[in-house]
Amino acid sequence: MVNKKFIYIIFAVMVLAQLFVPLQIIFHQEKILSEGKIVKFKMQPLDPNDPFRGKYVNLSFQENRIWVKNTKNFQPGETIFAKFKIDNLGFIQITSICKTEPNQDLDYLKLKINYLGYDNKQEIFLDFPFNKFYMNENKAQKAEDIYRESNTHIQNNTYAIIAIKAGEAVIKDVMINGVSIKKLSE
Amino acid sequence: MSKTILSEIDNLIIAKVISQETANDMKLYYSKNQGTTQNKLFVIFGIFGAILSGLGVILILAHNWDDLSNFTKSIISFLPLLIGQVFCGYTLIQKPNNLTWREASSVFLFVSIGASISLIAQIYNISGDFDKFLLTWYLLGLPLIYLMHSSTVSLLYLVGITFYCCQTNYFEYPKLQTNFWYFLLLIGFLPHYYLLLKKQTESNFTLFHNWFFAISLLVVLGIFAFDQQNWIWVAYISLLAIYYFIGKNDFFEKQDLKFNSFYIIGKLGTIFMLFQFSFNSFWESIFRHQTINLYQNIDFFVALLLSILALSLFIRKNKNFKMQDFHLVEIVFLINLIFIICGFSMTYLANILVLLIGLTEINRGNKLNNLGILNYGLAIITLLIICRFFDTDFSFAMRGLIFMIVGFGFFLTNYLMLKKRQENG
Repeated sequence: MVNKKFIYIIFAVMVLAQLFVPLQIIFHQEKILSEGKIVKFKMQPLDPNDPFRGKYVNLSFQENRIWVKNTKNFQPGETIFAKFKIDNLGFIQITSICKTEPNQDLDYLKLKINYLGYDNKQEIFLDFPFNKFYMNENKAQKAEDIYRESNTHIQNNTYAIIAIKAGEAVIKDVMINGVSIKKLSE
Repeated sequence: MSKTILSEIDNLIIAKVISQETANDMKLYYSKNQGTTQNKLFVIFGIFGAILSGLGVILILAHNWDDLSNFTKSIISFLPLLIGQVFCGYTLIQKPNNLTWREASSVFLFVSIGASISLIAQIYNISGDFDKFLLTWYLLGLPLIYLMHSSTVSLLYLVGITFYCCQTNYFEYPKLQTNFWYFLLLIGFLPHYYLLLKKQTESNFTLFHNWFFAISLLVVLGIFAFDQQNWIWVAYISLLAIYYFIGKNDFFEKQDLKFNSFYIIGKLGTIFMLFQFSFNSFWESIFRHQTINLYQNIDFFVALLLSILALSLFIRKNKNFKMQDFHLVEIVFLINLIFIICGFSMTYLANILVLLIGLTEINRGNKLNNLGILNYGLAIITLLIICRFFDTDFSFAMRGLIFMIVGFGFFLTNYLMLKKRQENG
C-alpha cells in the first residue's frame, strides 16, 4: 500500500510537470505580447515563386546584417544581443551587437549569428528565432494567389509586427501591402 | 486453434500414429500458444492504435485552426496531454497488471507531450531551439517508463535520445561544441533495460531493446570525432570487439541467436571494418590527416578506454583457452592496435584475415552441415574479391576468370553439401 501511494505521488508530480512546461511557454509568450514593445520589422520582398512553404511563411528580414569592426571576434552559432532603435515610421533598425546581455530597460533582441561576411567584409549576418509564421496551408495557397495577382510591378511593402520584451520576441502578424496576411486568405 | 491442426490431430488418431492421451496434450498445447499469440496481438494493436490516435487528434484539430483565438487554441492543445494523463491514471489505479492498457496509454501520453508542446509553439510562432524541445519532451516522458513499466516508451525514449544526439552533433550547423547529454539521458534508460534482461530474458521487448541499444551506441560513438578523426575508427573496432565478447558471454550465448544483437553486430561489424582496412586508400587518408595534437583529443581517450575494456574482456574470455571456441574476429582489434602504434598500414594483413575468416566459416558450415554458414563464408570471400576488383591492376580477363572460379566454387560447395545430406539420409 505504501509503495502504491508513492507511485501515485510520483505520477501526480509527473503530470504537474508535463502541464507546467507548456503552460509556462504560454504565459511567457502572452507576457511578451501584452507588455512588450510593438515594432515593425521590414521583410525582404517575398520570393514570388515560393513565399509560402507548406504550413508556414518563411520570414526573411531586411535588417538581417550588421557591420562590425572585426568579425574575428565572433563565430557562427554564437548568441549575441542586438541593440535597436525605432524610426519615425515604427520600423526597427539594428544599431549594434554585443556579447553580454544589456540592461533590460534598453531595447535589444537576443539573436544568434548565422554566418560571417565573405571576402574580408566586416559584416555579420543574423539569425532570427522568429522566422516562421504558421498558417493553415489551404489558406496559405489562397493568400499566395492574391499576392501574385496584385502589385507585380511595384515593390511590395511587407513587414512583420513583433512584440519585444527583455530581448525576446513574438510575432503578432505579417502585413502584405498594409493588409494582414490572415485577412488576405479569407 | 486452427481447423487444419485439429483435423490433422484427428487423422493421426484414426491412423493410430498417436494415442488419445497424446492428442489431448497436443490440443492443450496449441490452444495455450494461440492464447499467448492473441495477447501479443492485442498489445501490438493497442500500441499502434495509441500512436495513430494521438497523431489523428492533432490532424483533426489542425482543421479550421486559424479561425480560433489563441486562448481556444491553447486549451485545445492541452487536450491530447490531458486525455493521455487520464488514461495513464486510470491504468495505474484500475488496470496496473494489464499489459495492453499500460503500453497503449503510456505511448499515447508520450506522443501527446511532444504534440502539445509543438502545437503551442505553432500557435505562438516559436520556431527556434528544436534541440531544447526534444530534450524537454524526453525528460518529461522518461518517468512513464518506470511508473507504467512501459517497454515501448523505453524504446521510443532510446530512439528519441539517439536522434537528439545526432541532431545536436551531426545535423546541426554551425556546431560550436560536442553535446554529451545523450550519455546522461541514457542513465534513465538503463535500469529498465537491466530489469528486462533479468526478468524477461526471452520477451520480444527484450529482443528489440538488445538491438536498439547496440545500434544506438554505435551511432553515437562518432560524436567523439568532432572535427578530427584520428582515433575514432580505433574506438569503433574496439567497441565492436566489446560487443562480440558480450555476445559470447554465457548469458547471451544460451539464448536464441536473434536475441544476441551484440554478437551479430560485433562479428559482422568487425568484418566490415576489416574490409575497410583492406583498402590502401583507407590508410593513406588516416596517416595524411593526422594532426599535431594526436594524443590530446577526446577521441584518443575514448579509443584508449574502449581498447582497454576490449582487452580485459578478451583475456577473460580466453583465460581457459580452447581452440574450438576461438575465432579470428577476436584478435582483429588487438592486431589493429599493434599496427597503429607502430605506424604501419594493415592492408595486406587485413586481406589475409578476411580470407581466413571466410575459409573458417566455410569449414564451420561444412562441419555443422549448415548451408547458411557455408554460404556466409563464401559470401565473405566473394565480397573480398569484389573489393580487390576495384583497386588492383589485373586485366579484365583475369578478373573474369577469378569471378568464374568463385562462382563455380559456390555451386560446387553447395552441391557437395546437399549430396552429403542426401547420402546421410
